[in-house]
Amino acid sequence: MPDERMRHSLSEGAPIVDAAPQYLSLQPKKNTVLVSHGRPPWYGEDGKRTCDAYVVAVSGGSGSGKTHVARQIIQSLGSIPTVIILSQDSFYKHHNEEELALAHANMLDFDHPDAIDMPMFAACLADLKACKQSNIPVYSFSEHQRLEEKKYLYGATIIITEGIMALHDPALRALYDLKVFVQCDSDLMLARRLQRDVKERGRSVDGILDQYLRFVKPSYDNFVRPTSSHADIIVPGSNNAVAIELISAHIRRQLQERANQFRQRLALPHRYLNGRSGASTLECRLEDLDLKVLPQTPQLQGIYTILRSKTTSRQDFVFFVDRLSTILVEHALQYLPYAPKTVITPVGVESHGQKSDAKNMCGVSILRSGGALERGFRRVINDVPVGSLLVQSDAKTGEPLLLHVMLPQCVRLRHLAEESWVFLLDAQIGTAAAAFMAIRVLLDHGVREDRIVFVTFLVARGGGVSVLRRVFPRVTIVCGAVDDQMREGWLEGVQGEGNPEGIGRKVWVMQPGMGQIGDRYYL
Amino acid sequence: MSSPPSPLAPPQPAHPANTNLAHLNPLPKSVFTLPQTAQLEALYTIIRDKETSRGDFLFYSDRIIRLLVEEGLNHLPVVKRTVETPTGAIYEGVGFEGKICGVSILRAGEAMEAGLREVCRSVRIGKILIQRDEETALPKLFYSKFPQDIASRYVLLLDPMLATGGSAMKAVEVLIEHGVPEERIIFINLIASPEGLTTFCAKYPQLKVITGWIDQGLNEKAYIIPGLGDFGERRYCT
Repeated sequence: MPDERMRHSLSEGAPIVDAAPQYLSLQPKKNTVLVSHGRPPWYGEDGKRTCDAYVVAVSGGSGSGKTHVARQIIQSLGSIPTVIILSQDSFYKHHNEEELALAHANMLDFDHPDAIDMPMFAACLADLKACKQSNIPVYSFSEHQRLEEKKYLYGATIIITEGIMALHDPALRALYDLKVFVQCDSDLMLARRLQRDVKERGRSVDGILDQYLRFVKPSYDNFVRPTSSHADIIVPGSNNAVAIELISAHIRRQLQERANQFRQRLALPHRYLNGRSGASTLECRLEDLDLKVLPQTPQLQGIYTILRSKTTSRQDFVFFVDRLSTILVEHALQYLPYAPKTVITPVGVESHGQKSDAKNMCGVSILRSGGALERGFRRVINDVPVGSLLVQSDAKTGEPLLLHVMLPQCVRLRHLAEESWVFLLDAQIGTAAAAFMAIRVLLDHGVREDRIVFVTFLVARGGGVSVLRRVFPRVTIVCGAVDDQMREGWLEGVQGEGNPEGIGRKVWVMQPGMGQIGDRYYL
Repeated sequence: MSSPPSPLAPPQPAHPANTNLAHLNPLPKSVFTLPQTAQLEALYTIIRDKETSRGDFLFYSDRIIRLLVEEGLNHLPVVKRTVETPTGAIYEGVGFEGKICGVSILRAGEAMEAGLREVCRSVRIGKILIQRDEETALPKLFYSKFPQDIASRYVLLLDPMLATGGSAMKAVEVLIEHGVPEERIIFINLIASPEGLTTFCAKYPQLKVITGWIDQGLNEKAYIIPGLGDFGERRYCT
């Protein structure tokens, strides 16, 4: 289960998943972050989160059509950045031997609130709502057991929680922004349940009916239906298009209100480039930026001269970028902790040396141009995991958009992330918008700010780095050279998303700079 | 979620008793060493450890070799060069000047060639085989093969260990015979003994020596202490 994120184009109606047969009518998957067009900044210029994710709970009896309602809400929301349908089913408790035997005999009560690990459910939801990552349990219906593996989720702006007990637990209810109860006739629910459990979960009809009479029905009457009193809206279980439209309109309005409220405070460092507020060009002194700049040796100057020249061939460019990134990463490793270690040499004597004391070293490159540092990174740190983030700026607004997140295991798991040392790799810090977003992603995961080492070829001192430095003072920034300024320019002939005609796109370029490093390294 | 703020570890120095200056103070003027940081010391600790696997030995010795070659190249001349950047700006930089070639002393010196070529793409590499003459107990030249125009190049002489300095001095003698001026030779090694360095630099004071670490000294068998054993043996055979 390595790839948690799938790109669906929600705006075009039925989402299409790669490599899936076309004849299947595909629905948004549960427990998956669905992405339509990337996630805009979710933090302010102070680097802090501006708002929580919006959480909708959809409850109702088994077979009432909760999942359908959840999916319809997503579809009618249209173009929304990132959304998760979080299913209560994932949170069934771990069963011991005795319970397992009962479960296989269809004698275990799955419809009792006690069957669900409510504290864990609430903890995972609280993390997701607070824009942190969560590693939710995976439950297998065929094995009737919680599996060893976990499913990593991160980065949703809307979370839809669905399950029969979704409104039962007060701790959960406290996390919801909107509570929906789907009301449906019992015979319809039974019919749907039969159909689903036979087809999708491989059960026998007798077993299902027995379970229904023994557990499902009493549970509905005793636990599920009473929770409808907590709901903000009660939706019919069929022919509910109008209700869904009303809910979607409400959610859209709420999101819009939040967006308006926060848009002015969004962190878009390039807004400050023209010196409107505090952080302007050459006034900020190099010392204040606390950059770890490589010693300017003759060889380093020569390498930069080659890389900056527009006549340098691609072959040379690639070679010297690899050489430079190796030097940079070697330099960056100085800032890690070391501890004493004594070894015996083959000559048979003791040597009192040192060893690296940094746990869980890993890299995260900010695509595309951060990939140019990966070769050097791997040359210096043996077998190091390298994740990636794809951040692109929106063609119209210039806002950075987070399009893809693929992080190493030692960042995904919060208890490891808290001890990890993460090297962020990007070719340059210009507006610093992508750097800002990448650091925020790592902090969301629990990585300590003083364990983030940003490694880059070039920093524009008149650019967004001063904002970045003010907000994240403890991040180590290692660079090879510092350029003086940024100027507004047009990127010619960029064709593709958001710019189908390929007309020039407005960008900030560094002076003198190295040109478009990603293009020169890869194209 | 919030952990107590701790100051970021600054670049830490190596253990003072292990550093170059502890073993050879002052350094001869022609000797240049890598910065004695904890990071470098950690690299050496890995390759010194007799328990280190061959794979790790290769990986970490390559890292040190790259650092040494980078340092060595900084002693080559550069000239002013002005270029235009893709954004149309003018940049006053420098260009590399002078042709170079590597010369490795067989067999251990060959181990440094990969590192050299990672830094200097497709650089020419000459070879020298020097062994101890069993009759005279002196180092003797058995074989050499150089680029034809070696006399007009800067030479990076590669040998990982400088123990007594005997074979290195013999190699320099051969290079000078081939017309390479002493001051255009840069000798690169990973570990040097204080004795070897002193002898070598007294004989060739113009020749620059780049060494990563100066060790305590030599034992009665002329092995470097604490050293790392036989570099070629560990790199190729074990």
